[in-house]
Amino acid sequence: MKKRRPLFLPVAALLFLAACGGAPAATNSSTTASGTTSQAATTSAETAVPAATSAATAAETTAATSVATAVATTASSGGAPGEAVTINFITIDDPDLLLAQKAVADAFAKSDPKYANVTINFQSVPFEQLFPKIESAVASGANIDMFLADAPDVKHYAFNKAIIPLQDYYTADELKQWLPGSVAEGSYKGVFYAPPSMESCSLMFYNKDMTDAAGLQPPAKVQGWTMEEALAAWKKTTVSKNGSGTPTQWGIRWGQGTYQGDYEHGIIRRSAGKKGSPTFMGVGADGVTFHGYLDTPEAIKSFQDYRSWHRGPTPVTPAEPINNIFFNKQSAFVVYPDNAIGTINRLYPNGDFHYGVTGIPYYADGSQLCHGGSWHFGVSPRTAHKDISVAIAKFFGGAEGSKIWYSKVHQLPARYDLLGSLPEYNKYPQQLFNEGLKTIEVPRIETPGYTEYQSIFGELMQSIVAEGDVDVPSLVKDAATKMEAALAKYKGWNQ
Amino acid sequence: MAQIVNTPSYVKDVAATEGLMSQRRRRMIIAFLFILPALINFTLFRYLPIIASFRTSLYQYSLLGGYGSFIGFEHYTRLIHDPVFWKSLGVTTRFVIYKVPIQIVLSLGLAMLVQRETFGAGVVRSAILTPMVTSIIILSILWAMMYHSQLGLIQSILGIFGIPHLSILSNPNRALIGITIMMIWKDLGFSMIILLAGLKGIPGEYYDAALVDGANKWQAFTQITVPLLKPVLMFVIVTQTVFSFQVFVPVYQMTKGGPLDSTKAIVYYIYQQGFSYQDMGYASALAMVTLAILLVISYFQMRFLRAEA
Repeated sequence: MKKRRPLFLPVAALLFLAACGGAPAATNSSTTASGTTSQAATTSAETAVPAATSAATAAETTAATSVATAVATTASSGGAPGEAVTINFITIDDPDLLLAQKAVADAFAKSDPKYANVTINFQSVPFEQLFPKIESAVASGANIDMFLADAPDVKHYAFNKAIIPLQDYYTADELKQWLPGSVAEGSYKGVFYAPPSMESCSLMFYNKDMTDAAGLQPPAKVQGWTMEEALAAWKKTTVSKNGSGTPTQWGIRWGQGTYQGDYEHGIIRRSAGKKGSPTFMGVGADGVTFHGYLDTPEAIKSFQDYRSWHRGPTPVTPAEPINNIFFNKQSAFVVYPDNAIGTINRLYPNGDFHYGVTGIPYYADGSQLCHGGSWHFGVSPRTAHKDISVAIAKFFGGAEGSKIWYSKVHQLPARYDLLGSLPEYNKYPQQLFNEGLKTIEVPRIETPGYTEYQSIFGELMQSIVAEGDVDVPSLVKDAATKMEAALAKYKGWNQ
Repeated sequence: MAQIVNTPSYVKDVAATEGLMSQRRRRMIIAFLFILPALINFTLFRYLPIIASFRTSLYQYSLLGGYGSFIGFEHYTRLIHDPVFWKSLGVTTRFVIYKVPIQIVLSLGLAMLVQRETFGAGVVRSAILTPMVTSIIILSILWAMMYHSQLGLIQSILGIFGIPHLSILSNPNRALIGITIMMIWKDLGFSMIILLAGLKGIPGEYYDAALVDGANKWQAFTQITVPLLKPVLMFVIVTQTVFSFQVFVPVYQMTKGGPLDSTKAIVYYIYQQGFSYQDMGYASALAMVTLAILLVISYFQMRFLRAEA
């Protein structure tokens, strides 16, 4: 009897595993009748992470909203519908992008009868969680077909074979339909991986009512104010309306959301250097060296300026970020790409938000720049529906998809044909973004370790604005050391 | 012709013993089947990951890049020289020291308060339990809003008393205290309900007898309540220490470990190494060391409390 007892465990375990394996994979999507959309929101349980199960469990603690866009139309397209397929697509939790994605997904389903039963299940996460989510999904072999990739991350995914190359799906002429910078950002070592949706260049928006009240007239051109001039304007528009002494209206919010990421915040330090200088380059040519680039005297001075905007004797921006501060009319200026126009149109459909645009501030003894690049459509190597996923990526980055996308997001398109067909980009204010893209846009630093870099950079910016005594030069030097240590594994990647 | 055979007594004994054995065996099998799902769960989702995590800690490994070269205990020696690891360990220890004793004292007080079925006790009980059943991520977002130095509710309340705006989450000296207060509030219900169950298990006769003997309330508390509650207290202290050591979500949501690493708890650091810095091998080594520390703390806590009991 003693000999037989241990059999129970393997037998029961086998039965249990067999039962698990036999169950169909759960998805958040539902296929519905013609043209309808079903939305489901799920929030994963968040608890303390057991250390013993390693950090892998931590990824599951992210709050993920899942939006299932079921598109099923057969009657209108006339042909025989293809098999029912669900494409799981990781994206960011942005209302404008979600609207755009849903609209393009609807159009994709109608574009060909064989895609009539294709359901795209958008799983959205906050921007900071996008990379860990994609990373854990690809690594764990989760049922993920596609994802939205930030331009500088495409190289990281390609380096790690976490994205499939799409070079063979495009002719040379087709690749010329996008701006060269967009193609370069969607490529790795000369191979094209991910079609782009948009391009970008952040300039400075202002609330016209507030600048008028302060007697300010920001220049309506790309080469706007220097940092010094901008700071004077921000001070003038930082006011306390309730007499408490604490500002109720702030001068500036530098960047989208509340995150202190590289896209906008990285501009400040690079602007402190002249074109071609180490400060302007931001990283060594090897993509992994930061000492001598991040911590140059002029870069450190820019970080100190950034601190003084928050913690100086006359702060012009809140030390603790306020969500939607510009759109809620709590700040006079904001540095933002042109998708702010789409957001303003959505939030103020009656046009009662009076805004203008001026150039992004820059150091007079440095250079003016905006960071380019935007979102790209990546196909996961784990996809079980490669052909459909590639077709979706092509459609989203194609003529029709880009047009629909633009109608919702209102951000510089990456396609020449679309950009040329939009008259608004020939007149103020959007003309400034078109011009900025051609004159001051530079790509973000090129490295396969962009995510690691950005994490450490975000921490640095958070620490710089901390209350109390802060030794900015030491913090910057420490951050450069951390970046180099975290990126050491990529040494030689571009040789 | 029928033959009557008398069964020898030793045969009867053997049969009886065998019957007992098979009955016992049956019971064992049934008991085993009951614990089997939990055993499978623990094996698949706890023990195997621990083993896998240990293996990973011996390699260069990133989630996307997979396994690199075998480096033995290099991650463990790196860890010894990593100042952020020691800082995060210090942050975590401070968090546990701030939180657990205050939470235990408060929850014991509240448990005694709501123990008697007085008017409103049910409402108080529900109010204390509500944070326990609310998602920690939602609570973290709400508390971060309440703490906000410009727009937060707490700032408005302080303003009524003429206290100027106070940076909590962006001040390295206050951020951890802010998270601790939130977590005490969140976990109070859990420890209170366990202690309440323990209090209800103490027979009332003991208190009646003590009263007859002339004991006052404090004496009854120290001589009856505390000794009889020790096993429950031990459970609450050990579990709360372990849970607090694993604090992650509020750090992730409210401060991202900052400012100046002042809230970088160890599990957040593990997450950061694994997912932000792409160094899962090192993250696994950190996780293994954290596990070892927790096992040692739990062992000594249990030994100490058992000895006391």
